[in-house]
Amino acid sequence: MKFKVPGPSLTRRLVLLAAGWSFAVLIAASLLLTAQFRREFLARFDAQLAEHVESLLARTEIIEGDVVPPEFTDGRAERAHSGRYWQIAEIGPDGRIAVRVRSKSLFAGDPNMPVPPEAIADLGREPTGTYEYDTIGPAQEPLRVAAKLSVLPTPAGNVPLLFIVGEDRRPVDAGARRFAATAFIALILLGFGLMAAVFIQVRVGLKPLFDLRREVAEVRKGRADKLIQSYPAELAPLAEELNALVAHNHEVVERQRTHVGNLAHALKTPISVMVAEAGKKPGVLADVVRRQTEAMHGHVEHHLRRARAAARSQSNREQTPLEPVLDELARTLERIFRDKKVAVDWTCPADLAFQGERQDLLEIIGNVMENACKWSKGKVRAVAEPKEAGKLCVVIEDDGPGLPADRRTDVLKRGARLDEKTPGTGLGLSIVDELARAYGGDLTLGDSALGGLKVEIILPRAEG
Amino acid sequence: MRVLVVEDDPDLARQLKSALSDAGYAVDHAPDGEEAAFLGDTEPYDAIVLDLGLPKIDGVSVLEQWRRDGIATPVLILTARGAWSEKVAGFDAGADDYLTKPFHTEELLARLRALLRRTAGHASANLACGELMLDPKAARASVNGEPLRLTSLEYRLLHYLMMHQARVISRTELVEHLYDQDFDRDSNTIEVFVGRLRKKIGPDRIETVRGLGYRLTPLAGETS
Repeated sequence: MKFKVPGPSLTRRLVLLAAGWSFAVLIAASLLLTAQFRREFLARFDAQLAEHVESLLARTEIIEGDVVPPEFTDGRAERAHSGRYWQIAEIGPDGRIAVRVRSKSLFAGDPNMPVPPEAIADLGREPTGTYEYDTIGPAQEPLRVAAKLSVLPTPAGNVPLLFIVGEDRRPVDAGARRFAATAFIALILLGFGLMAAVFIQVRVGLKPLFDLRREVAEVRKGRADKLIQSYPAELAPLAEELNALVAHNHEVVERQRTHVGNLAHALKTPISVMVAEAGKKPGVLADVVRRQTEAMHGHVEHHLRRARAAARSQSNREQTPLEPVLDELARTLERIFRDKKVAVDWTCPADLAFQGERQDLLEIIGNVMENACKWSKGKVRAVAEPKEAGKLCVVIEDDGPGLPADRRTDVLKRGARLDEKTPGTGLGLSIVDELARAYGGDLTLGDSALGGLKVEIILPRAEG
Repeated sequence: MRVLVVEDDPDLARQLKSALSDAGYAVDHAPDGEEAAFLGDTEPYDAIVLDLGLPKIDGVSVLEQWRRDGIATPVLILTARGAWSEKVAGFDAGADDYLTKPFHTEELLARLRALLRRTAGHASANLACGELMLDPKAARASVNGEPLRLTSLEYRLLHYLMMHQARVISRTELVEHLYDQDFDRDSNTIEVFVGRLRKKIGPDRIETVRGLGYRLTPLAGETS
């Protein structure tokens, strides 16, 4: 079977989707917030500048045609390149600007603060307003400038004067940047928090789906025979369908198994007839018939076992108490071997159970016990006891001739028969070995204290 | 010895009948469960060979019914179903032995002999009554070491008498155990056969108990 490459996981899809939109929203929010904050900050800064320019204007006098600024404007304006500047210029009738006075912070060699023509135009349209603009200061610092127009009376007439106050705007930018950084980090954290929340939500939300998967796996492994958990409305129909499918599957396998079993058993009578008929008159034909019917019998047995194995792979949740099985087998075998007067002495804890089908347990113990009875001189002992780690152990011993160590592996081989004179198919122990292994168990041969063979069978134990 | 063969396959039934007749048994045949149940209940068989997969009523049910009705006839189950679960079920239903198909005719005959011997309570395979010997395996008898030449009915008569020696056996019982169902029964013929057998084994071994029947005993001076 070829596995399809799995599509993107549902969890990943949901988390990525949530991540996508929440990060988009968060980034937009952070941009909006930062912009808004910068605008507010700048507005306040501008308001301060306007205040300054207003105060400069108010306290400036024209004395004998000279523009006389206030004695002391503010400490910073006295220091060179301090970041706070002002200048007062006269606007000539031709629109040319002639600087009359400027702050001491503007050094002797420094150029005047530039005034863009839009400022004059704007102020011309609205003479009472303040115009703010950005420019570069003498120390190459970015400046925010507020300009205001005022007409002061002089002896020579009214002179339009342009008052300008500039201030280093880097603190504003830095503040905005700091805010943006903080906001960004906060939002990133929020984003990850959201992601974690979404992940948990998806996990919890999809839990029934994971449960469903686990249950289906249990069914496939034969540890459960159907889904038993109750599922939310969206999954319940799926679970029902799955149960129906499993049941159908069981039924089909069971039916096939029954068919194979019936066919195999039905073939045995014709085989018997042919064997008997061929045995009456020796000859080439009889030989061929005998050989072929033997082969047929082999096939029949083989496929019967295969059919049983198929049924076993479906489910081995069945639990079979050991005690009644030992009791039944001991009684039956004592009856079969009553001419030999074989006594089967067995012990088994009442609560010991085998994790598997009764039929298989009967087959395993029955074959080993029959072997023991066949070879024994009258005494067979079977002891069943629990072992560690979910295993149980059945030891079956007899007082017969036993088996040399070097022959022991041979008996477990398919079809091996040690003594052709003792009736039986010879498959006994190898079938047992095969069955025990199919259950994850084991079979070992050894010497019995009774004098004969000791067979130790390890099988899975049913818990609880 | 009279045996009932319950088997639905006609070829196998024919084979079994002929093999059992050759071995000296009177054989009846039932092809289905219903007839088997009826015959087993009404005829005094010495043993029954029972197939399990039968039409109408299955073998295990037939066997259970016989046992419920108090029929203690030894039953040998002959079936294709060889799993231990099926064997255990068969024995639980009251079977005395179990043989799985495909089987060898010799093994079936051996099991049947063992079954009959066990039922009659004999320890050894060969039967003896004084110097009179019978080997059921070979279907041969001898007196003082001399082989006897017996017809099939004479052999059956001797076999039955030896199985139940020292007991008085009525003519009716003999008729029921020596002839199969289809035979035209006439208890007078028993007298004829007893007469012939006396000629071959010596006149005094079979005693006539007037009004009751016959008894086989060793001759005075012989140990049984």
